[in-house]
Amino acid sequence: MKKLLHPKAAKSSRASNTPLLLIALPGIIYLLINNYAPMLGIFLAFKDYSLIKGPFGSDWCGFQNFEFLFKTKDAFIMTRNTILYNLAFIIIGTAVAIFVAILMCELGERKRVKFYQAAMLLPNLLSWVVIGFIAYAFLNADTGFINNSFLAWLGLDPVSWYSEPGAWPAILIIVNLWKNIGYQSIIFMASISGIDKSLYEAAAMDGAGKLRQIRAITLPLLKPTVIMLTLMSIGRIFYSDFGLFYQVPQNSGALFATTQTIDTYVYRGLMELNDVGMSAAAGLYQSIVGFILVLIANKIVRKVDADNALF
Amino acid sequence: MKNMKRVLAALAAAAIALGLTACGGGGETSGTGNGEGEYDQVVYAYATFNNIPATEDLAPVQEAINEITREKIGVEVTLMPISVADYTSKVSLSLQGGEKIDVYQSLGNFNSCVASDMCYDISELIDEYGAGAKEVVGDNFLDACRVNGALYGIPTYKPYALTPMLIYREDIAQELGLDIDSIQSVNDITPLLEQVKSAYPNMTPLAPVQSGTIGLHMCMGDVDWLSDDYYNPVGVLLDNNTTVTDLYTSDVFKERAQLARTWHENDLVMKDAATTTTTAAEAMASGNYFGYIAAYSYPEEDTAASLQAQCGNYDIAAKILDDAFLSTGDINAVSWMIASTTDVPEAALAFLDLTYTDEDIINLLIYGIEGRDYVLNEDGTVSYPEGEDSTTVPYTAQLSCGTLGNFFKMYPTEGTNPESLAWEEAQNKEAETSVAMGFTFDSSSLKTQYTAVKNVISQYLPGLLCGSLDPDTELEKFEQALMDAGYQDILDAKQEQLDAWLAQQ
Repeated sequence: MKKLLHPKAAKSSRASNTPLLLIALPGIIYLLINNYAPMLGIFLAFKDYSLIKGPFGSDWCGFQNFEFLFKTKDAFIMTRNTILYNLAFIIIGTAVAIFVAILMCELGERKRVKFYQAAMLLPNLLSWVVIGFIAYAFLNADTGFINNSFLAWLGLDPVSWYSEPGAWPAILIIVNLWKNIGYQSIIFMASISGIDKSLYEAAAMDGAGKLRQIRAITLPLLKPTVIMLTLMSIGRIFYSDFGLFYQVPQNSGALFATTQTIDTYVYRGLMELNDVGMSAAAGLYQSIVGFILVLIANKIVRKVDADNALF
Repeated sequence: MKNMKRVLAALAAAAIALGLTACGGGGETSGTGNGEGEYDQVVYAYATFNNIPATEDLAPVQEAINEITREKIGVEVTLMPISVADYTSKVSLSLQGGEKIDVYQSLGNFNSCVASDMCYDISELIDEYGAGAKEVVGDNFLDACRVNGALYGIPTYKPYALTPMLIYREDIAQELGLDIDSIQSVNDITPLLEQVKSAYPNMTPLAPVQSGTIGLHMCMGDVDWLSDDYYNPVGVLLDNNTTVTDLYTSDVFKERAQLARTWHENDLVMKDAATTTTTAAEAMASGNYFGYIAAYSYPEEDTAASLQAQCGNYDIAAKILDDAFLSTGDINAVSWMIASTTDVPEAALAFLDLTYTDEDIINLLIYGIEGRDYVLNEDGTVSYPEGEDSTTVPYTAQLSCGTLGNFFKMYPTEGTNPESLAWEEAQNKEAETSVAMGFTFDSSSLKTQYTAVKNVISQYLPGLLCGSLDPDTELEKFEQALMDAGYQDILDAKQEQLDAWLAQQ
């Protein structure tokens, strides 16, 4: 594409872009200060940071700061947890969000849609601390709703949820869906309502039923949105939602096998030691692996469907 | 494209330069010569367990203190009260960010403050600028703040000895005719808890004292935690032996874990004790609990009397479970330090000294302005002005009383038994002390192991000591995980440093 453009045309397009660039300038400056300037701090990951000597005067220490991440088999557990949970969130979250979005669009009637939408969006506005306590009200061993009403009604024994690691993958996925699904489905609803209505009319005339229409029109046309959102989530696959993994399990030690992620491990380790070098090392490790994963995901997408690749 | 890159690079450079100069500028204005005249400026950051006062309410207190300090030591002080929950993280972030704090305290984290270079070595200054404090605290306790010969802080002077007690509902004990006097140690509590449970099936007999502990930490006999806080012990001295021991393989630990398990299985303790965020006082105030185990530094009756209001005004009593035992950690847990980043160490120490020796300054810090924030009764005790309480007066830090300077120079609150103060000072002198009193472990070379080991501990310890994990199966896994995390390195380093320290004594 680029080669086809005449050099003059390119120049004039740059000139006409100037006002747009000016408009974007505050955003660009913000980005530089907020996201690029701190990158300088990367070198702290390789320093034995000392308050007295300051960031530049501190001694270099090689990869020593990275050791704590890989010291125990915690490293494996937390990396596994982080990636598997994020994969589950991406796959299940996307599927459920699309399902909800399609249902909403099929409802058609504005008032009801607005009501459901608002109701589903509400949890997204709550902070994780509040959600942590709502979950606690359900799961509390002595007075919780599930033990006292639900399990008792089924005639089952109460469960100490906060010392039962096996149950937590399910609990965390449900809580995460409950909080985020309203927000995610909005994006898909927007794409669905952007689909040309005449396509559906034509399909209906050819005798396609609702399900057939969804399968043949809605889903394929949603593909670009799905790919873009998935790519963006894969870039963050090495980051966990700290609130979800820290607040909802109530920081219970017995659950670490299934709730420890990189972020909570780093937080727990560093809040006690407050070591700047190790925090920087953990941040660098996350960013590098995250960056590699984006490149890989993009490469795969380019193979499968070149038009939809990010770059 | 090339041009664009150049522009971006220039922008980035500009942003960085701006950022740097901004920091530099901030640093300069916080220096000494900023137009305030001849007085050295000291920022005093302290943790308050009460409400944070409004700026206009704080100002008169600060001015009253400055009137004294200008004259006595030529220093002007800025008070910086910080809520206790945020204190540790706020201070360390401020120091790392280059904000001016000159004097601050440790809240159980003395060691990590030293390990992260946050403390100024005051060995050279103490005799000239901190002589009063040194005399009050005494060389013996002052040594608790020494690491490798350097003095990094001054312990708060207060009743140090914490005695483990069972705090319980006297009304229920009397009604059921519980034989409280039969309690000699924590093991004797079980039959009483069972009695309570059978009489009140809807009640939970024992509440956790705070998240992750039902108080069994404090009931392990004479344990020197060797510079680690007792929520995360890593290598301890048991029964005044000088061999660094792993607490978790010791008999006493196994016994306590078994006891917790029995309580847990028989519904004698809150099921979620290992994770709940409910505090003991909240649980007691709900009326659904019989008691809890915690350590206090006051005599039995005073402890009970002081807890009554927080515990829903039920009839509360206390029973001592074990003797007090003093080790370095008990002394330096709450210490006052000069920030390593300070530009006025002498002035900072001189002011710190006054918080141990000057009655007026101590009471201004704790109670605020007389007449406005408190009234001094004829017997020398303090109460709130008519119709006010700790939450309505403009300034009070009364709940911080055991953490600021010198506790014994504070006016006692109304209703305090004067004999208690004598008991407390006697406890300080008479409580059994560890053989390693004055030894502080320097953990700075073992940060990696510490991070990993503490993670393992927080995974298993609360569950084991609250009964939600079965010691028969989990203790072994715990040991293995600790070893994988480099636990042995820490034990060895501790033993090595302790031997070297003992050889010097």
